[in-house]
Amino acid sequence: MPPGSQATDGDIVRAVLAGDRERYAQLVERYRDRYARYATRMLGSLDAAEDAVQDAFVRAFDQLAQCKEPDKFVGWFFLILRNRCFAERRRNRTSASLDAANGVAAADRADGGAENAESRRALQRALMELTPDQREVFVLKHVEGLSYSEIAERLSTSVPSLKMRMHRAYDRLREQLRDHT
Amino acid sequence: MSEHEFHPLVKQLLDGDITLADLPAELRAEGQEALQLLAGVERTSVSMPAVTWRVMTALERRRRRFRPWLLAPALAAAAALVLWLRPASPPPSPSASLVTVRFVLVAPEARQVSLAGTFNQWNPQATPLIRAGNVWTATLTLPAGQHQYAFVVDGARWVPDPGAPAVDDGFGRRNSVLTL
Amino acid sequence: MIALLAVPLTVLSMQQGADSAIAQRLAGRVPPQIASLVGELGTAAATRGLPVDPLIQKAIEGSAKGVPSERVAAALRLVATHLDSAAAALRDGGLPADTLAIAAGEFAITAGLSRNDITALARTGANAAALTVGLRVAGTLAALGVPPAEDIGLVSVELRAGEPASTLLLLPAEVQAEMAKGATAAQAAAGLARAAAAQARRGPPPGRGQGQPPPPHPPHPPPPPHP
Repeated sequence: MPPGSQATDGDIVRAVLAGDRERYAQLVERYRDRYARYATRMLGSLDAAEDAVQDAFVRAFDQLAQCKEPDKFVGWFFLILRNRCFAERRRNRTSASLDAANGVAAADRADGGAENAESRRALQRALMELTPDQREVFVLKHVEGLSYSEIAERLSTSVPSLKMRMHRAYDRLREQLRDHT
Repeated sequence: MSEHEFHPLVKQLLDGDITLADLPAELRAEGQEALQLLAGVERTSVSMPAVTWRVMTALERRRRRFRPWLLAPALAAAAALVLWLRPASPPPSPSASLVTVRFVLVAPEARQVSLAGTFNQWNPQATPLIRAGNVWTATLTLPAGQHQYAFVVDGARWVPDPGAPAVDDGFGRRNSVLTL
Repeated sequence: MIALLAVPLTVLSMQQGADSAIAQRLAGRVPPQIASLVGELGTAAATRGLPVDPLIQKAIEGSAKGVPSERVAAALRLVATHLDSAAAALRDGGLPADTLAIAAGEFAITAGLSRNDITALARTGANAAALTVGLRVAGTLAALGVPPAEDIGLVSVELRAGEPASTLLLLPAEVQAEMAKGATAAQAAAGLARAAAAQARRGPPPGRGQGQPPPPHPPHPPPPPHP
């Protein structure tokens, strides 16, 4: 290891696989908040998101030997979390939209005032009416700030198909927001 | 085409490929409506400190025992080994975090070695080390926080841990420091 | 061992609260005159919002080590002074009183850091819990021989980056590992600080810095007029 550097993800994964299981906590600590926002926006609820992130880390530990590129743990972990979020959505279709209003709007008070808070809540409600694929491309681009090509690489898909998904999402969001104003 | 659909140029605006100024005049209002939609995006970061502890606890429940770190021979001279078993995120009460620590001293000529520190009221009798060849060891589970300690050799000689950071004890000697 | 004492035996009127709690922890472990002194210094400290534990620990330590009482008394007064300095340094740094942070500051001063060093860490804006860990780690790094500039440099980079306690607590071991390879303590700390600063600048891929404002995307529009 070059001087001054910290353990890489690959180092930690290899150490855990070699039997030093407690070091997994370092990976969890490193990345537990990385996708917390993504999970929260996808599931519309902080509680559901926390459960999903926890389950994903446990799952990742169980499957750690199958992580083909330990130095790219975070990308591999993201896919596990993504699957977990998609599974949750299928299970909890009705309750998620209630949570959207309650669980996610807490941070609103920090900026903007009542009107901004209401528009944030409205958008999150509208997001929950999209398909998970549509919601995901919207969250990754407009919340997480990724480019289409970064998203395409992450999800192993093409930019044109992502754009098609996103453009349908824009229309559905417009429809939802108009119908509920 | 439904009246809900944004014009393709407005979708390019939403994608960030063009700006409001690039839109023809008749689309400006729709463009502003689109941007207002985006203004509702919630980007505040989310933190989940409890997840670390919950994950490690969930994994721990599946285990029977864990294997201690093996010391590289170069470090065998001394050093406190830390076995990570702790809720790493800020817990509601700091004393809730526990860490298992192994203390090691190489002292071939000693007849008796014990450990005294802030965690056992500095009592030289409380924590004897066990001898295996030239190496004396003891394993304790300590709360997270700041600890100071020293080895007591043959009941009388207070010796700081050669492998650990050391501070002035205020009495003319040095204490070893363990920060968990 | 009974030694001639410079400190006269005084009978303190023991109040409830701080005094009796202190007395309980010292009972049977320290000579009565040390117990009195700890009671006096401890009660005064408690009323000023300072932690009492460092005083109790030092008294027990001195007695266990068989140190003459006047030496223990001198060490106790020094601890009390350090507690006051640490509290003042934290106030200067804008942190409201927190006994754990003050105790950590006392340790840092004992390890060789100055009041200004503590204030500098407080000014990173870290909350009390994070700062407590930061001060403990800074003191530990000083105890390893890291000079104050590199020490505070490294810890403040990590605090400003919002690194969790577990990362900060790894720093002494990382410095030790580098020193084992031949670096000086100063070089090791400076190297780690550079790496941490570089990482903070790059930001985490691909979530693009949850703690930072996102890049304008799409380009910032003028505020929409209200219909």
